[in-house]
Amino acid sequence: MSKIQGLMDVGKRGMAVSQSALQTASHNISNKSTEGYTRQRVETSASPPQNEGPLRIGTGTQISGINRINNPWIEKQLEREGSQFAFIESQSQALGRLESAVNEQSVKSLNSSIGDFFGSFRDLANSPESALPRSQVREAAGNLIRNFKDVRRQLDNVSTDLNKGIELSVKESNGIAKEIADLNTKIHDIEISSNGVANDERDRRDLLVKKLSEKLDISYAEDSKSGMLNITAGNTGMLVAGTTSGEIKTYTNEKNKIVIYNELSKGGTKFDITDQFRKGSIGGSLDMRESHVQNLMTSLDELAYGIATQVNEAHQEGYDRYDQEGVNFFDVPQDGQFSLENLKINDLIMEDVGHIAAAAKVGAPGDNTIANVIQELQFQPTMADGKYSFDDFYNTKVGEIGSLAARANSNLETQKNTLDQLKNVRESVSGVSLDEEAAKMIEYQKSYEASARMIKIADEMFDTVLNLKRL
Amino acid sequence: MRVSDKMNQNQMLNNIQKNRSELNELQNQAATMKKINKPSDDPVGAAQVLRMRTENKNLEQFDKNISYAKMFLENSESTLGQLSDAIVRAKELALQGASDTNSGLPRAMISEEISQIYNAVVEMSNRRVGDRYMFGGYQTLEAPFTQEGEYLGDSGQIQIQNQKGHYLPMNISGSHVFLGENLGYDSSVKLMTEVPKTVEELRDYVISEETKGIQEKLFRDTQQQGQVDVRGPASVDRAQRVGGIGEGGAAVDPNADPSATDSTLNVVSQSTGVNLFQTMTELETALRADDTKGIQSTLGSLDKALNQINLARADIGGRLNQMTATSDGIQKSIVENKSQNSLTEDADLFKVMTDLSKSDSALKATLETSSKIAHQSLLDFLR
Repeated sequence: MSKIQGLMDVGKRGMAVSQSALQTASHNISNKSTEGYTRQRVETSASPPQNEGPLRIGTGTQISGINRINNPWIEKQLEREGSQFAFIESQSQALGRLESAVNEQSVKSLNSSIGDFFGSFRDLANSPESALPRSQVREAAGNLIRNFKDVRRQLDNVSTDLNKGIELSVKESNGIAKEIADLNTKIHDIEISSNGVANDERDRRDLLVKKLSEKLDISYAEDSKSGMLNITAGNTGMLVAGTTSGEIKTYTNEKNKIVIYNELSKGGTKFDITDQFRKGSIGGSLDMRESHVQNLMTSLDELAYGIATQVNEAHQEGYDRYDQEGVNFFDVPQDGQFSLENLKINDLIMEDVGHIAAAAKVGAPGDNTIANVIQELQFQPTMADGKYSFDDFYNTKVGEIGSLAARANSNLETQKNTLDQLKNVRESVSGVSLDEEAAKMIEYQKSYEASARMIKIADEMFDTVLNLKRL
Repeated sequence: MRVSDKMNQNQMLNNIQKNRSELNELQNQAATMKKINKPSDDPVGAAQVLRMRTENKNLEQFDKNISYAKMFLENSESTLGQLSDAIVRAKELALQGASDTNSGLPRAMISEEISQIYNAVVEMSNRRVGDRYMFGGYQTLEAPFTQEGEYLGDSGQIQIQNQKGHYLPMNISGSHVFLGENLGYDSSVKLMTEVPKTVEELRDYVISEETKGIQEKLFRDTQQQGQVDVRGPASVDRAQRVGGIGEGGAAVDPNADPSATDSTLNVVSQSTGVNLFQTMTELETALRADDTKGIQSTLGSLDKALNQINLARADIGGRLNQMTATSDGIQKSIVENKSQNSLTEDADLFKVMTDLSKSDSALKATLETSSKIAHQSLLDFLR
């Protein structure tokens, strides 16, 4: 025989379960916009029945668990694609800046100032006697150097920002690693003590892993016993080991580049692990820094050096207005330590444009042979072992950067689509739907009401029993 | 498929973002009227545009060069025209003076006019364009001729670039026209055809110019000393041939005035030209001295001088024609380049505008549907 007490218990349990379910629904609704949140579902099961002789009478419901609805495979893919996206994004951004450094579609820059420089020698060739075209040559040369330095400065800025970005990302990664280690502790504690699943902590940890992966190469594995996640950065940089977190560090080397290293022990041997990073935003930045930014800088130096030395060589063959042999037009260090910083016009020419040599003969003010030879240099294939003229060399570089940027942009677009698609799949599985929660709200509210009614009925049944005598 | 709220939102945002970035791109194109705003818009096109721009700038510069050179040459030409007139007048006077039965002006008076023509020739030889003396070769800052007809200039040819890799001299040296030095077989001016374009060529050029300079100096020295140098089989051979062709009466006239040795020397010095100043001086001297033979002997020289001047004028005319033709070509190329560039980098306005309105309405539609969907929820219907 069942007891009225039992009926009351069923009602009570039903109310409690409904309340928990309602609370979970409300938890879902309030976390609808929380990044990385996974919807939770209350799993109920029938509580163990009572044995009443041959009968087994149900005792209502119980909560068997509150679970996350997620697909670990999708999360894993998201982590990978997110890392790839961050890699391409950092490249595309850097390339966009490189591109704007050499962009001459609307403003005048290096290409036009190279043209102006050689053009000024053409004007000089028209009237080598007068001072005006000479000062124009000086102006054009100054402008050329300024533009060279300007482009170089912009490239330096890109490089500096890449380095700063790497440094910052490493710092953030260390912060994330620390938080993950803390979450490891929490998850371990919760799951050992209560035998339940630490849903919200795991959500947060999954999100952090994705964020970490967006920054750098990581490999990770969850310890199935303790539920703790161990993470390695690159191949050897220990970031998270159980409840402790490690740090990877950076310093700026003599070439003004950020180097990533880790120490085995505090103050111990430093291992340069910069080369281990090929993914995420750090990987992308490192790749840009080492390849394209560096290449463009080198090419720029080569171009400036080429122009300076070629012009010097021709200029030295000539004679200036004072019948002196031509000096070096540009000051170029003799020891081969050329850098754009030190490129300048010869002091003598800066002081007096009469020292510009236009003539190939002594005492021939109308001779423009040298000016002609110098302006002809613009068309001579002197760069890259005689393959390109100065113009071609530079324009090719601009085209190269342009096509790299174009490719990176389209890759980014594709990768964004892939990522968006994956995010949609994830949201489809794990995202909160208000409609669904509203429906559940009604469902559990009704069941709460019904359970309460059950208790009332039991109460009335008690009354009926107690009043039996009086009848 | 289960659709969650966030999915909806993300999709909405993505769509709006996509529309906006498209619109932004198109607006940028409409504002700049260019479809290439940065190299990545069209890498090949961008590099091409840069190349074309440089080319156009160069073409414009070449055109500038040409117009400057043309001005210089036209000035030279008109001066030589006047010079030619002066020599014609001198020849008329010489003809008058040459006949003993001259019924006209006495020789003394003729010689007076000749002396004035001489002064005019000196003035012409020292004319300038702007600050530059036309006939001084590279010596453009000092008057190339003294009153005595001594040449202070050189034979430099000021090369002006009229096309990529092509040069034309814009001047004609006084030593050619007035002194008849260094002329070709037919008394025409020898143009320098090879212009150094690289530093290596420049070095070779400097060496060859130096050798030439030494030869020229040697020639002048020889002329001044009145000596005949034996200079090697080639020039001897040449001299004999030149003599063989028959160098007019003046050159071999044994009765010629001793001062008129230049013609003989010219034969030796490979030159077929006439020294105008010397001829004029001879004429004047002969007129003053009543030397009929002397006067007659200058007639041939004057004819040759005229020929020499006219050949120079023809040469200038040829260069002018060439430059005009090149300039026309350049103008055409500039227009072609510009239209080519425009094809590459300019936006098709009609296309941009249609695309713009298309994107605009797409954005509006997205926003409208978004606003409708975003507000719908089961909760709305539960009251």
